[in-house]
Amino acid sequence: MGSRIKQYLSIYGSFFSTSFSAAMSFRGHFVLLILMDLVFYYTHLVSIDILYDHIQTIGIWDRQQLLFFASVMLAINQISMTLVSENYWIFPLSIRTGELDFSLIKPVNAVFLSFFRIIRPGSLINVCFTGPAVVYFGLQVGLSPLAWVCLPFAVVGGFLLQNAIEMFLSCAMFWMMDGTGINFIRVELQQLARWPDFVYPRLLRSSLTLVLPVLLIGSGPVRFLLDPTDGWPLVWLVGFLGLFWLLLGFFWRLGLKAYESASS
Amino acid sequence: MNPKALWSLYLPKWGATMQVAWSNLLVYRLNFLLSAIAPLVVFLVVKLSLWYRVYEGAPSALVGGFTFSQMATYHLWVFLTSLLVFNGNATKISEDIRMGKITSYLIYPFSLWEFHGATFLARTLVQLGIAATTLTGVWAFLSGQVHFPEPHTLALGLLLTLMAAGFWFWANYLVGLIGFWMEETWTLMVMLQILAYFLSGSLIPLSFYPPWLQGLLNYTPFPAIAYLPARVLMGESAGVIQALWVLGFWNLGAALLAQLVWKKGLRLYTAAGM
Repeated sequence: MGSRIKQYLSIYGSFFSTSFSAAMSFRGHFVLLILMDLVFYYTHLVSIDILYDHIQTIGIWDRQQLLFFASVMLAINQISMTLVSENYWIFPLSIRTGELDFSLIKPVNAVFLSFFRIIRPGSLINVCFTGPAVVYFGLQVGLSPLAWVCLPFAVVGGFLLQNAIEMFLSCAMFWMMDGTGINFIRVELQQLARWPDFVYPRLLRSSLTLVLPVLLIGSGPVRFLLDPTDGWPLVWLVGFLGLFWLLLGFFWRLGLKAYESASS
Repeated sequence: MNPKALWSLYLPKWGATMQVAWSNLLVYRLNFLLSAIAPLVVFLVVKLSLWYRVYEGAPSALVGGFTFSQMATYHLWVFLTSLLVFNGNATKISEDIRMGKITSYLIYPFSLWEFHGATFLARTLVQLGIAATTLTGVWAFLSGQVHFPEPHTLALGLLLTLMAAGFWFWANYLVGLIGFWMEETWTLMVMLQILAYFLSGSLIPLSFYPPWLQGLLNYTPFPAIAYLPARVLMGESAGVIQALWVLGFWNLGAALLAQLVWKKGLRLYTAAGM
């Protein structure tokens, strides 16, 4: 088990250095990627701030609570952008061109090779924005000591759930001529998750919490952090994480049976 | 050359390019729906849900000068105007420059901007059809709740939107031409889109913004992308004449700049793959 972990870490190290070299080849693009994310983070937070200049609360949350939620979502988004996001856009192409063959013949998990191969080092730098933002708004809402300890795990939990769902959805690409459309669905689901669950009407909220639980990605961890005596949001998150991981394994194997390989 | 001769020279080329663009759009219909329309539908769902919560229990209260019903109407118009404006495809231009594919346009009697202009027009016409269908549906289901504008108001709103679409085309085209200097330009396009959403009043009406920012934005084309057409279609036409002048200026400026950038860029073009 230990040697297996060591092997995967060594492969991941190679992925990182390759991605870093590639990113450094186009420095202008590298800088623009950082700027693009920062513009998005800034406008999202400022939009909420402007909105609260005219109202006291939205649903049950005041300005600081919603800004804390938004900063946690941005942190999850930033980790996802850095570690996984680019791979989703390449995956449908590798199915269509048969390049997936090269991942399947290697003695390493093909899901790992397909979704973790390309890293975006530029986005990693933006942790200098999202990290302090989470801490600042965490201080504003007066997080308890327990919540501070749980905060990194909650963010990682949200990231894992988001990507378990998105990888599961990506399996549908095996059955499509051009799977790019699935990526647009993925991006739209992220947009829905960027606002707290109580914003949505009951039917939509239930569907996006209990069927395709994208609203748990941010609302689950933040609800727990704001009130650590209520652990249910985290229980749901962990439960769905396990479920979607199992579903991913099942549909991945099913998808491989439908995969027609290169030049076919 | 007289106008009739010009018309008969250019119309077939533009028409043929538009037909090709329609065929390309409809090859992968699901992708088209998911890439062009779904984001706006989801954005509308998010906004309506958010504003419903903001006004919860007091739909007649005034927030930023809007009641809930006015806010919902505002976002419906923003949805429809966004359908018409956000149609660019700058990444294709930079990719064509990188791969050396624009060489054809240097020898064809049909320039690159005309090709992309015709494609943009084709997409806008498709989106116009979708917008008209949506509007008819909404009007049929919610007649009495959504105020339908007078014909002259509708025409003014449409004129503003189409001029904003023209600006968006030139802005896209310019960003694409930066491909002469950079490998990738999609980051610039996404950045422009994020700024346009923020500065056009797509999420929050501009009347919520600080007065100094509103004053500044009056000299930019952004309010004409969403806020101004929506207000005009809701029956408020204050500031429209100034907006038309500002948009005209930005359209002309962007078009001239695009021609200049094209000429400068061509000097660097290596026609890769030739």
